[in-house]
Amino acid sequence: MKKITYLLILTTMCFFSCEKEEIEGPSLNDLFGQLSIIEDFRVVGDSASFTNGSVYFTAEFSKIVDWKITITGLSSGGKKIIAGKSNKINAANSMWDGEVSYLPFFVNESCAVRLTFDAHPDTINDFLIITEAKTYGNGSEVIIADFEAGWNPNFGEFFNSGMVRKIESPGAGQGTRYMVQESAPNGCPWDWLIGYVDYYFDYWLQPTTLNADPDNVYFNIMIHGDSTLSPDNVPNSLFKIEFYEDENQDGFWSQNNEDMLFHEFLVDWNGWKMISIKYSDLEISGAALNGGSGNKIREPNKLTKVRTLLLADPYDQADLNSCSGFAKADVDYIVWSEGSPILDQ
Amino acid sequence: MKKFTIKTILFCTLLPTVSFAQMFQKVWYDGNSRAMFYRDALTGDLKDSDTTSTRSEGEGYTAIDLGMHFTPNEEIEIFSEIRVKNDFGYMWGAGAYVDLRRLSIKGVLNNRVSFNIGDMYLKQTDFTLNNFNQELSKYEPNVFQAYKDLIDYENFYMNNYWRMQGLQSNFSYTFYNSIESVEADLFASRVRGVQWLGEPELLMLGGTSIIKLENNISIGVNYVNSFEVQSSSLDTATYYNPVTNLQLKYKKRAGGLKYFLSIDFGGSSRGWNKNNGGADFETSGGFLRGKTKVVAKNFNSTLGFKYISPEFRSAGAQTRRVNFMSVPSSYAYYTNNTILRPVSMMDIITDPNIYNHRLSTSLMQYNILYSAVLPYGEATPNRVGGDMVFNYKNNNSSLLASADIAYFQEVIGQGTTQRRSLVSSGLSLKANIDKLIGFDNKTQLELSIISEGVTRGGDEIESISFNSSLVSAGLSYELFENLKIIGGTKSFTGSGNEVGVQRDEYDQIIGFELLDFNSKENIMLIGLQYNFTKDIYFSLQTNKIDFDDKTSETEKLSLNRIYFMFNMNL
Repeated sequence: MKKITYLLILTTMCFFSCEKEEIEGPSLNDLFGQLSIIEDFRVVGDSASFTNGSVYFTAEFSKIVDWKITITGLSSGGKKIIAGKSNKINAANSMWDGEVSYLPFFVNESCAVRLTFDAHPDTINDFLIITEAKTYGNGSEVIIADFEAGWNPNFGEFFNSGMVRKIESPGAGQGTRYMVQESAPNGCPWDWLIGYVDYYFDYWLQPTTLNADPDNVYFNIMIHGDSTLSPDNVPNSLFKIEFYEDENQDGFWSQNNEDMLFHEFLVDWNGWKMISIKYSDLEISGAALNGGSGNKIREPNKLTKVRTLLLADPYDQADLNSCSGFAKADVDYIVWSEGSPILDQ
Repeated sequence: MKKFTIKTILFCTLLPTVSFAQMFQKVWYDGNSRAMFYRDALTGDLKDSDTTSTRSEGEGYTAIDLGMHFTPNEEIEIFSEIRVKNDFGYMWGAGAYVDLRRLSIKGVLNNRVSFNIGDMYLKQTDFTLNNFNQELSKYEPNVFQAYKDLIDYENFYMNNYWRMQGLQSNFSYTFYNSIESVEADLFASRVRGVQWLGEPELLMLGGTSIIKLENNISIGVNYVNSFEVQSSSLDTATYYNPVTNLQLKYKKRAGGLKYFLSIDFGGSSRGWNKNNGGADFETSGGFLRGKTKVVAKNFNSTLGFKYISPEFRSAGAQTRRVNFMSVPSSYAYYTNNTILRPVSMMDIITDPNIYNHRLSTSLMQYNILYSAVLPYGEATPNRVGGDMVFNYKNNNSSLLASADIAYFQEVIGQGTTQRRSLVSSGLSLKANIDKLIGFDNKTQLELSIISEGVTRGGDEIESISFNSSLVSAGLSYELFENLKIIGGTKSFTGSGNEVGVQRDEYDQIIGFELLDFNSKENIMLIGLQYNFTKDIYFSLQTNKIDFDDKTSETEKLSLNRIYFMFNMNL
């Protein structure tokens, strides 16, 4: 029996001597430990050419932490955000090819780089210079308008009296100029429509016939919103895009027997935003006498016109409290892309 | 002649009685009864500062559990227990309840195989199916019996058995060769029924087989499998948890001493089967435990070792009794902010409503303050270490002493490579003073202390230093035959820092909580107890209860309580 007791004691000692380095659950140090920088934050490739190059960042911390790198173009105002959760920043988790997270596009400019952390007040600043800004597109893009040459008088337009449509600079989403569209300060009292612009195919900046596959064609438009709210807290600006197909290729769009497709959305943001939609996701008009009686086949290669409309809730002139107020949606860089949204290229 | 005459008369008188008793009786009754009343009154600082709580509150009831045994033949017994309960303060049926408390059918097939259908009590080993005792209950003085009996009875706690519903059967065969006997016990139990749009049905199947060999060796095989039935729910994943425990036991008598050796080892797996095949969060774990025990006339001693892997999971053996997520009965909400009062020692010792009756498929929450070393009983995962227990009694059993000490380490650290070291120890002394000093009136003194300590090295965040202790004392003095005056106290202190774990629904640790403790709790009682028999008694007592968590502005409570209980267990 004594031997058995000794055996038990020996077994106990054997188990105690077993060391396991793994841990159960997240690291306490990561959750509650102090954050310290073990290796300084550094920009690798601080004179960046994004035509065929990229930039990445390096740093090492004392714990796994949620970090965020914000790159802000000092001229354009464009922003790129790279975020991660790790104790190291390196090429694998911080590679930047020059793309933008928040419009406008970066240009050839100096950029402020800021590293911040979740739940820690520490901030580290650096900078980099973009020598060649990234160009978007894969070579198949078709630009409708970028307003760099001003207003094209061949485009059609209608704006209600007192409403504004003008070309403005600076503050563009791309390049230097953009198109302002806005209502009078109190909106348009008698109509939903603030105004619309017709972009006829023949007068596009690049009047190229689109790919026939609606799953492969994306419409992209930069819109600058100001998120003005109506009295009942609904965004006040409604943006609608209409696409007119000349199905019989006779040079005209017939509202009784040819398709009109559309996409509409509330402009509920501040600043520039790229809206991209796949052609096959567009809705077909349900109005029989306004584009709802065509062949119901989405045919981007037969597009004859794109129309953009800005709308807002009208108000009762006898009751100014019913006023939906100011509406605004500026436009820049209207472009078709193939394969994916333009910002992904 | 006189003697002969008396014997003849006695024979003639008693013979019919004895014969009648041998006749088969088809229906017979038994039952238990309880009357309980308590009233709490706020005292201390809270009495002045808390203007939203009542100054006093209480409740009580009378309950009779009437058992009916129907035996249609000698091989079958049908048992039902009906509870009739009436809350104090109601009349004409309001506040009165009639419930079916237990229902079972027992029988024997061919005098070989016994079976039990309906309510049943099940227990296997410490690692497969075991209803381990709640915290702060070790070495509890007998003067707290009135509370303990109430908690055990109302929660169907019988020793360390779980009360379940289902079917159980056992049989044994005796041989006359190297195998002395083979015993088998099988059960199928429904732990959770079907819930409409809810969780799936949870079943548990299990069995034990013990083979006794002629050379004092026995081999036991224990198996339980708790699992959810996929087809009984719209859930996309269903739980399973089979556990196996092999036991080897050996006993020997030598030099006037008895020696026992036992080795337990086995494993578990647990996961969630997905509808479309495969399993989620599957983990496998194992355990090993060895024990030697020496028994002499006046003492016995046990030395043990065990290893439980961090991944070992057993719903039947790790389900806790105290549910710390429950709402206590007395002053559940307190302070001017009407906050929920956390479950404290007072509730663990006196409140039957904070206890759990059903097996849990995940590790239940616990309070490190009261149970830091083995919160999930013997089967607590992530422990390696040893323990030693020593019990002594003198020749006339007037003095009984027990001591135990256990030391464990974590197998792997939680949130760090540093591992906790955990120590628990206890000392208990029971003196029947009347026997010791030849006193006429029965007098019993009980003293005990249990303590726990946790340490962990590392930096400021990793390091842990926590200690708790519970000192208990009880004194009973027989004023008259069967009537005794009782007095007792339990004093708990806990201080230091610890790190609590936060787990998700799959028991994965997803976070930690840095905890500081500086808590002091007391219960003192004094009263009278009249024992008709050991299990039939009434107890009238007054309690003084104090709870003070010095790390919190609000968690303080002082109560005075009057408590009466009549208890009758047949």
